[in-house]
Amino acid sequence: MNIRLEYVLFGFGILFCLAGVGYLAAEYVQNLSEAGKLVSLLLTVAMFAFLSKYFEGIGW
Amino acid sequence: MATKRRNLYLYLTLICFLAIIGIFIVDGYMGIYDTIYVTTGEWEHKIESDAWRDNDPHWSSGMTRGEKAFVRYEVDNRQFSRYEADIEVSVWQMQAKVKDVLAQHMALGAFSKGQIEWEIDSAELIPPDATPEQEFNYTLKIKRGEIERNIILYINPVPYPVIKTVPAPPR
Repeated sequence: MNIRLEYVLFGFGILFCLAGVGYLAAEYVQNLSEAGKLVSLLLTVAMFAFLSKYFEGIGW
Repeated sequence: MATKRRNLYLYLTLICFLAIIGIFIVDGYMGIYDTIYVTTGEWEHKIESDAWRDNDPHWSSGMTRGEKAFVRYEVDNRQFSRYEADIEVSVWQMQAKVKDVLAQHMALGAFSKGQIEWEIDSAELIPPDATPEQEFNYTLKIKRGEIERNIILYINPVPYPVIKTVPAPPR
């Protein structure tokens, strides 16, 4: 098992990025209006759908 | 053609992500937010702006008779424009005004905070003929322009009333 150090660092970077975005989302989601929450939910679903299509396209 | 299509999905993902961030900034962060801090005894209650969103009127704070409540009202202007409002604070009981506490004009610049402090003395609210065992409820009304915040103030009797000892008469 030979994992390159770069990939480990990338993994940490992505993890910290997700943690940061998650923290901010948890902090400000309370202040969102009902319409804002709904649109955010729809955009999140669309974002994951497009991301899935992208990964499908590159052969994952 | 396939690469173009693939990249299109990636761009759409990025657009969705940026749109979510945009909604969080515009809808979640920006606006006028007020926080009320009520200190009674050694306890500080913090009532944040989102507490009023569910229209729950049961925000309350209690104090023992003879004590004072120290209130701090903080307004956070998270807008690009200046914000001005008249702040009126009063104490009510049974839909009748008991006392005007303060009336003040507040002007805040863009992305700045302002605060007003006052105190409420329970001795000034309780009627003079009240018995020591009686407890009282009052509503503290904080009016900022069109917006009204109500906090119920419980004034509890002293838990162990001072017993006055009468010296025995000399024999």
